[in-house]
Amino acid sequence: MQYLFARKKQSFLAMIGVLLGVTTFIVMINFMTGVNDFLDDAVFNGSPDIIISKDVEKPNANSILSQGSFLDNYDKIDSFLKDKNNVQGFAHQIISPAILISDAKQLPGSINGVFPTQEDTMVDLERRLIEGKGFQSLSAKNTILIGISLAKRLQVSVGDSIKMILPNGKNQQLEVSGIFSFGITTIDNVRTYTSAETLQRLLGQKNHITNIHIKLKDRDDVSIKDDLVQKFQGITTEDWKDNNKTIVIGNKVRDILTWSVSFALLLVAGFGIYNILNITVIQKRKDIAVLKTVGYSSNDIVFIFLLQSIIIGVLGAFLGILFGYCISYLLSTTPLDTSDFIIVETYPINFKVFYYVLGFFFGVLTTAFAGYFPSKKASKVDPVTIIRGI
Amino acid sequence: MILKAKQINKYFTEPEKHQVLHDVSLSISEGELVSVFGESGSGKSTLLYILSTLDTDFDGDLTIYDHKIKRLTASQLIDFRNKHIGFVYQFHYLLPEFNVLQNVMLPAMKLSLKSKKEIEYDAMSLLAEVGMKSFAKRPAYQLSGGQQQRVAIARALINNPSLIVADEPTGNLDQKNSELIFDLLKEITGTKNKAVVIATHNSKIYHNSDRSIEMIDGVIRL
Repeated sequence: MQYLFARKKQSFLAMIGVLLGVTTFIVMINFMTGVNDFLDDAVFNGSPDIIISKDVEKPNANSILSQGSFLDNYDKIDSFLKDKNNVQGFAHQIISPAILISDAKQLPGSINGVFPTQEDTMVDLERRLIEGKGFQSLSAKNTILIGISLAKRLQVSVGDSIKMILPNGKNQQLEVSGIFSFGITTIDNVRTYTSAETLQRLLGQKNHITNIHIKLKDRDDVSIKDDLVQKFQGITTEDWKDNNKTIVIGNKVRDILTWSVSFALLLVAGFGIYNILNITVIQKRKDIAVLKTVGYSSNDIVFIFLLQSIIIGVLGAFLGILFGYCISYLLSTTPLDTSDFIIVETYPINFKVFYYVLGFFFGVLTTAFAGYFPSKKASKVDPVTIIRGI
Repeated sequence: MILKAKQINKYFTEPEKHQVLHDVSLSISEGELVSVFGESGSGKSTLLYILSTLDTDFDGDLTIYDHKIKRLTASQLIDFRNKHIGFVYQFHYLLPEFNVLQNVMLPAMKLSLKSKKEIEYDAMSLLAEVGMKSFAKRPAYQLSGGQQQRVAIARALINNPSLIVADEPTGNLDQKNSELIFDLLKEITGTKNKAVVIATHNSKIYHNSDRSIEMIDGVIRL
């Protein structure tokens, strides 16, 4: 086995090559999937998978006011949804634009009238609370939950009171019972929750709702949209992909980048190993010839050289995932200068074990593959030509 | 009779078709040291590679130890060589990364009929026989040519083969070492009852062998 550790320097360099490839793969995939997961979590879990609303022919800013924007016969849609396997849950909402006025400022916002028990199954708000309480606090009369950015601009905190003015001119004093953050500025800047009853009462639309939000078991299967549109007249549906096209595309681009860069690096490392082993085989032709005359078969020779490259691969891949973990860990504790779009304190990193296993597997596979051809070449050395001294 | 060769013909096809061996027939018994003498290009090395089963691309019949060599498959041939034939070359060819003892043990480790301890014991006693016991733990590359050749002989004997094939074993050595190596090979022939074939152009070996065969242009002159 000593035989294998000839050319230590080159083998070491080859190992470094694998190490860099695997490290980059780990860091990139940890970061990229970290970003993807962060966005998924913030955007897709903060919003429903499918939204059903009234199909308004000429949508305009005030259409929410008109009688036409409320869903008819929604109990029929309810019973239809209850029978569907892929529906994990659904919730009713009554959504209206509103002007919110605090002592300091007045700002536009969107007010979502929710049924607290239903909404709890849709959005995990507890996890996103910065201050105060979640949906259940809305069962108290005249309370409101608001997004962190909006709260900051209004300069209010839990317990403060703000005035809500609805498009029909009705206004109501509401007490802030909770402040939440989804991490996405476009949500945290406008979204507020109040109880559906409050909003229905103020709009004078008892028992009316504007939207049904659906959570799916398998989010990628949105076929239920078509069923709904066919079965029920006068409704329109939107799914999470329609609403977040840029994020969906961004995720795809990040995936492609990660895989192609990692692949390129491992390819280069693979060529390095191929090269080193090739030279070793040429230099060791005599030794290979001797091994063959004393009873070592071609397969034994392949095994010896393949083992060498696999040892390089295993060591490189192992150190690579170790380094990758360290760098990822450092990144995950590095403060990130937040843009306007997302609110996050440090780099989002995904430490899934699967990627480490994958990185290791890729590293070893590359070296095994790169080592195979020189090994095959070594096994074809003809002892007679060597011993003859040709 | 350990080795029997009948009507061996061998052709080289590169650069053009050319007959190297013409109807070569010979047989060798236990306890016999046979030298094949000839100028370079006479075909003596080619004959030796055929007799040692390294080269199986020839016409004719070769029987060693009751095995028809041409009927063996490639992997059978490797095992056969490992068990029954020991090699000594002009350029001793020890593996430089290994120490002397490991080099000697190598063929037996591959055969793996014995435990590592037994092989080590065998190797040490062989090294003692060739007078190299005190060098057992030295790396092979630190040895002189004559010393390396003695280690190579010990290696050739480790699996107790019936046939030892030596290609110009003294070709690279000075007079004193040449004599030492030849005496060693002769001793092996006598005491261990092996058949030894030596290809050489050293006339001393030619004259001191049990039997000498001279080759000229691929033909045996008796």
